[in-house]
Amino acid sequence: MKGYAWAAGATALCTAAGLAMRGRFDLVNIAMVYLLAVVIIALRYSRGPAIVTAVLCVGAFDFIFVPPAGTFTVDDVQYLLTFAIMLAVALIISRLTESVRQRASAQARLEVAAETERIRSVLLASISHDLRTPLAVMCGASSSLAERGERLSPAERQALAQSVFEQARDMSEQVAKVLEMTRLETGALELQRDWDSIGEIAGSALARLRERLAAHRVIVELPEDLPLVRVDAALIEQALANLLENAARHTPPGTLVRLRASAAGSELVVSVEDHGPGLPEGDVERVFAKFNHGTEGTAGGVGLGLAICRAIVRLHGGRAWAEQLPGGGTAFRFSLPLEPQPELPAEVATGPAA
Amino acid sequence: MTTILVVEDEPEIRRFLRSSLSAEGFRVVESPNARRGAIDAGTHRPDLAIVDLALPDYDGRELIRQIRAWSPMPIVVLSARHQEHTKVEALDAGADDYITKPFGVGELLARVRVALRHAARSPAGQVLKLGQAQVDLERRRATRAGADVHLTPIEFRLLGALAKHLGMVVTHRQLLAEVWGPTQVGQTHYLRVYMKQLRDKLEDDSVRPRYLVTETGVGYRLLADEA
Repeated sequence: MKGYAWAAGATALCTAAGLAMRGRFDLVNIAMVYLLAVVIIALRYSRGPAIVTAVLCVGAFDFIFVPPAGTFTVDDVQYLLTFAIMLAVALIISRLTESVRQRASAQARLEVAAETERIRSVLLASISHDLRTPLAVMCGASSSLAERGERLSPAERQALAQSVFEQARDMSEQVAKVLEMTRLETGALELQRDWDSIGEIAGSALARLRERLAAHRVIVELPEDLPLVRVDAALIEQALANLLENAARHTPPGTLVRLRASAAGSELVVSVEDHGPGLPEGDVERVFAKFNHGTEGTAGGVGLGLAICRAIVRLHGGRAWAEQLPGGGTAFRFSLPLEPQPELPAEVATGPAA
Repeated sequence: MTTILVVEDEPEIRRFLRSSLSAEGFRVVESPNARRGAIDAGTHRPDLAIVDLALPDYDGRELIRQIRAWSPMPIVVLSARHQEHTKVEALDAGADDYITKPFGVGELLARVRVALRHAARSPAGQVLKLGQAQVDLERRRATRAGADVHLTPIEFRLLGALAKHLGMVVTHRQLLAEVWGPTQVGQTHYLRVYMKQLRDKLEDDSVRPRYLVTETGVGYRLLADEA
């Protein structure tokens, strides 16, 4: 529709220009101005508007400029050639443009497919790397138990069984992360938003990671009057747990980890700050990207934790980012938009007398 | 002998449930689907049912409703991760507690024991021991480290609603209906505010509560020291 409006607009513009040129320029040059309009519209829009432009331009040129002016009669046959050329140009250019456009979009599709393919292969490589070790442990340990359990001491049996259990639990965590990322990316996820307190969510995330963070010193700093947020609590807990897990994974035991939250303007910012080795220059930007294992790459994990965190936070209308801390160490932060706080009933009005 | 009904379609999961429950001295009845589960619940009259929510013939939640129509037997639900919504529906349909797959046997046995104990216990007046804090729900008195703690009437009611299901999860909806009334079941923020107040008054570390536990996306669980 827009194309047709531009067709009319371009014709009007050319006519105005032509009227200004009349007397000083040959009619042929005025025809050139119309031709320019036809070319531009054909380049910019599809074939329909191009043909309409050609017809309108031919009509306007004929009616206003070609003698006898004020009629569609044509004295000189040579102008018929002008019309034919204008129409031909419209058709040829619009077809050219069309085919260029098609090629460009095919190219873009190819690039998307290539990117998807790249992500898929990185994902597969990363999954098989991260799952192969636990699978090998589980196969080995459980086959020892199944095939020669009676020859092992109770303590050895116990140790093998324990390692199968631990590896399986780890693997299940990692598989869950891959599924989570897929769920987030395909948009197959509906937020179950409800009023929640970051304090409670932080408590649950810390409880979930109690074992992983046992060797770290964790300090929680939450202001008393922190406003409530309307979020999908299970997802935000996951986002925060991923930040905490990241700190546990990438900083040495004994490192101080600070979990804090504060309300700033129309958003609430949650941070996990560690006083670990910090990120190399450049990683501050890259760290939330998918499959980033950190530079050392030895700490394990599918490398999806921070990407999942960011995807969850974005779904909630917030941001996730990393910052170098001035005294060394790294802060991983995310923000959540704040909404007007819900009202609470006065207790005296609803509760029975004490 | 205490009988436990296991309704689960995966034979390998039934196998380890059977061996670990039998090792604890329970008699185990196994049903591979919901239809069979409903029949077995009637004929074996188990003391407790463990119900997988994803069953091949019909939904575990429907089975829970059917059992609840005639029996108060405790029901513990097995559910997949990320299905808070389904868990809540199962709990609101009458399940007493849930456990998320994958789980360790220790965790499952703890849930089973709490649910069995709850079914056997009379809901008479109790004194809750929450670490340094003690709450006498009947006399409406609370102390912490020997000193009196003032709890508001709503705080007492909330604690009472949780104590009725001591050790088990109570959904937001159930708590709101019981404390503020059935028209207020959507006002989850009341719970956030009052749970924080209770934790500030009773817990040693209100951010990392030991007794008033959050079940994210589902509800709350009150734990207490053995009296």
